[in-house]
Amino acid sequence: MSPTIVIIVAAVLLLLIIIGMYNSLIRKRNEVDNAFGGMDVQLKKRYDLIPNLVATVQQYASHEKDLLEKVTQLRAKATDRQMNADEKVELDNQISGAMHGIMVAVENYPDLKASENFLNLQRTLNEVESQISAARRTYNAVITDYNNAIQVFPKSIIAGMMGLKRKEVFVIPETERQNVNVKNLFN
Amino acid sequence: MIERNDLETLYNSELKDKLQGLEGIRKKVKRGQVFGILLLVLTFLLFVPAAALLEGYNEALPFISIAPLAIIGIVILVRTFKNKKIYRNRFKDEVVREIVKAIDPTWEYNHDQCITSSEYRSSDLFRQSVDRYRGDDLISGKIDKTDFRCSELHTEYKTVTTDKDGKRKETWHTIFKGLFFHADFNKEIKGKTYIEPDTAERLFGKFGQSLQMSSKGKLVKLENLEFEKIFAVFGTDQTEARYILTPTIMEALVNIYKKYKRKMHLSFIGSRVYVAISFNKNLFEPKVFSSGVKFKDIEFMYNLFEINQIIIQELNLNTRIWTKE
Repeated sequence: MSPTIVIIVAAVLLLLIIIGMYNSLIRKRNEVDNAFGGMDVQLKKRYDLIPNLVATVQQYASHEKDLLEKVTQLRAKATDRQMNADEKVELDNQISGAMHGIMVAVENYPDLKASENFLNLQRTLNEVESQISAARRTYNAVITDYNNAIQVFPKSIIAGMMGLKRKEVFVIPETERQNVNVKNLFN
Repeated sequence: MIERNDLETLYNSELKDKLQGLEGIRKKVKRGQVFGILLLVLTFLLFVPAAALLEGYNEALPFISIAPLAIIGIVILVRTFKNKKIYRNRFKDEVVREIVKAIDPTWEYNHDQCITSSEYRSSDLFRQSVDRYRGDDLISGKIDKTDFRCSELHTEYKTVTTDKDGKRKETWHTIFKGLFFHADFNKEIKGKTYIEPDTAERLFGKFGQSLQMSSKGKLVKLENLEFEKIFAVFGTDQTEARYILTPTIMEALVNIYKKYKRKMHLSFIGSRVYVAISFNKNLFEPKVFSSGVKFKDIEFMYNLFEINQIIIQELNLNTRIWTKE
């Protein structure tokens, strides 16, 4: 085999490898966008539930006006304008905290807790919360995969040329990690 | 519902007597099997000397001279076969049924029925087409809000090879043998999620993970490392797989695995969760060659039946706080 052929074969091979790596990186980036989209869908579902929740709780628990107003404001903010991923995540954590506050406050209103409407709402909310948590975990898994891919040699070189940057995983705020402690309610 | 401690009391007060009552027929079956086979072997061994001794006489004479032995042997075996059936039925009715009843009197037990082949197919756990489908010891019931069905199952497929002399040879291969369980799942699911034993990752570590592939869907990597070492998850929808396999459920599956230490296949399809746990031996069968009066055997059966409850409890299937009631 002449040296020219060897060089051509090697060059073609190298090109194929580079194309393969490039495609796999693109695929990973798209997966991240897709996972974020999936999370966004679930978050929107939760936004849609908020007016309903506020209306139901208001009937029974007029004392919790502050909490309800806060969550309504946050929702308005979330649906009002376009935000980047980090802002969305931050706002969403605030909403989670506020919703959590309402659910804790509800414990003081047995009539509300027993109402059919609220029970249905609670089920739907549990559903959405579980979906959100699953979507967040998917998002984190996909991001970890993506981060690994862009930082490991030799893909890191191509990733650098493509301008791909490390993305942050979703951190669940401390308030959400704690379970409701019934005792604290009486302190 | 009886606890483990009560099981010993039940054994001593009721089951032991019943098992002792079955010892007579067990010994009869054992004797029959031994004698029957012995006679047939003897017939076979005697044929050559008989043929040598009676050479020159009528050709049929050697056969006639040993035929009575063979006939007696066959008669004994046929009778033993009948006795064994009686023994097995009595064992299941008097002993196994009692254990099931003691765990939960509302559960139904049918020793000659099993999970239907359409239920088996809906699980989509094993895609190999089945040539022989067998099973028994069906238990069905409800624990709180969750209904379940469980039975022993053995599915096989056949391969036929022809050697160079043109002789056909059939070989049977097991697809699944063990306990097959399914129950109502507490969350709504649209896609399909499968959990399989993870051999690649256990053997080759992180590198093994890249070898994991399945026609059942994309590999879903989860956060629980202990879980990931034991199982591989595939699914049509990554997020749904995580919606089903919450951190609590992953931990529960690790616990179930540690308790039984058997290969486990699971699938979440439609409104149900399917679990297939592999066992090598036949379950819930009476002993023939050694004494049937043993607490250990009863305890083993109890552990197997308890699995219905353990899966439902560990997977929190009675928690109905989501949109599905």
